Amino acid sequence: MMDNGARSITCAATVSPVPANAGIGPRADIGPRAGIGLRAQHHLEVLSDAPAVAWFEAHTENYFADGGAHVEALGRIRANYPLSLHGVGLSLGSTDPLDTRHLERVRRAVNRFEPELLSEHLSWSSVGGRFANDLLPLPYTEEALRHVSSRIAQAQDFLGRRILIENVSSYLQFECSRMPEWEFVAAVAAESGCGILLDLNNIYVAARNHEFDAQRYLDAIDPRAVQEIHLAGHSAVEFEGQELLIDTHGTPVCDAVWNLYRAAQRRFGDVPTLIEWDTDIPALEVLVAEAAKADALRAEAHALAA
Amino acid sequence: MPSLRELQSGVMRALLDGEPDGAVPLIAARGIAPKHRLDVYANNARTGFIESLISSYPAIRRLVGEDYFRRCARGFHARHPSLSGDLQPAGTKFAQYLSELHGDDEFRYLSEVARLEWLIQETLLAADHGPLDLAKLGLVLPDDYDDLRFHLHPSARLFASQYPCVSIWEANVGSDAEPEMMDLGAAPDRVLLVRTGGQLKCHRLSHGEFRFLRSVQAGERFVAAVESGAARSEADVAGDGETRTFDAAAALQRFVLAGVIVDFQ
Repeated sequence: MMDNGARSITCAATVSPVPANAGIGPRADIGPRAGIGLRAQHHLEVLSDAPAVAWFEAHTENYFADGGAHVEALGRIRANYPLSLHGVGLSLGSTDPLDTRHLERVRRAVNRFEPELLSEHLSWSSVGGRFANDLLPLPYTEEALRHVSSRIAQAQDFLGRRILIENVSSYLQFECSRMPEWEFVAAVAAESGCGILLDLNNIYVAARNHEFDAQRYLDAIDPRAVQEIHLAGHSAVEFEGQELLIDTHGTPVCDAVWNLYRAAQRRFGDVPTLIEWDTDIPALEVLVAEAAKADALRAEAHALAA
Repeated sequence: MPSLRELQSGVMRALLDGEPDGAVPLIAARGIAPKHRLDVYANNARTGFIESLISSYPAIRRLVGEDYFRRCARGFHARHPSLSGDLQPAGTKFAQYLSELHGDDEFRYLSEVARLEWLIQETLLAADHGPLDLAKLGLVLPDDYDDLRFHLHPSARLFASQYPCVSIWEANVGSDAEPEMMDLGAAPDRVLLVRTGGQLKCHRLSHGEFRFLRSVQAGERFVAAVESGAARSEADVAGDGETRTFDAAAALQRFVLAGVIVDFQ
């Protein structure tokens, strides 16, 4: 028999009705309280339960679509919470021409969601038109410094606002590097005028993998440039008995990174902090608890300082 | 010292083409061989790409099983790497790739199901649009209808296949139950996918309705779309055993009320 009627198919596009009282009132700016990374599996819970989260950070590319459930959900979440948009795909360090189609989509997302903070990575992910869609480290050379700084400036001009640039984890170092990573990061911020999103887990992972002192890294960064801090978890793999830390964002923040966070409080003061979790994503309450831990550590650090 | 361009080209060949020889000398060894260090990134690139395919093609993954899906996805990644900083379009050519692999065997239907899954992705991510403004249509004189060009909802996608792909998709998505055996010779698909009210809807179409909507989607005038709908073809008779006549007024009403036809000029 021919079924001539429309059939509704169960799928991810379904959005449950949200109670009219959802939300936490008018949104405030992003303050020093820790926010959490927003992932699609938590959209409905955030919309229906309005959890007490200080702010959310969303991956810009996940909301590139013209419409649909995710874009709609972020619009509604954004109405109730401060928001940061965090890009992973602009490939700022690539020697390919800057991808203006991608930038145009970032601009559309910025116009749509009006984020308080906007960030990308100090890395490259494409060359010759092909993308690895990963955050690949640059060689720390004069050429790379000039190149990536001018690209960041170009992106800022296009978007009409300052962006924050995040330091990445790395599993290799290039022989041709002529300066330590921290000098490179500081110089890029100075040259391009961008802010710095300091990922403490990434610093820790790089410090362990490349055997440097993470504190030296913090000491090299201008406190006025740091406008956001990321905290996340990592994993370890072994190659021929040698350990390599991998930035999986799939575990709780480790004690060593919490210690680095204490040190960062002393140097950078009250800066918006974000808990990131991207693989094996746990229940929302686990993320909320990590954010609360960051808030407690920050309060303790500032009480000690006072 | 290599230029930044040379360095990036060498590393990308290691990550995407499995050719690390150019990149290895650029990387400090210090305990772990450069090849292993590059492998971590190559694995990340592949994993992210395959995760994107998994989210776009849940029914294909279910149909072929985890192992074969991953093998297929690796082959596809090697042939059609990501060309964008956003992974969403990564699976654009997956149906075509499956048809190259299985164009002549009993798994021919896989590429058709993949084509349907990609259209579903497009439907889910397309722009929103409200229903047609009936008051605005009411102002059009009956004599002027012929020249109207109706617009379909931005999420509308037409899909026809000799296989019952929609039923196969439904049986393999959103349920953990073991799907029943399916008759691949069952009624072929002629459907319109659309997202209205946040829901994916699948409208089954007669041949006439399919041709009518295809004309509308192509931007043809209403009179031409109606002619397409009414044109007889062997399929109208042979397809499901009965002869249908195309009722343009009924079709227009149906697709306006369903939020499929949303505007006109």
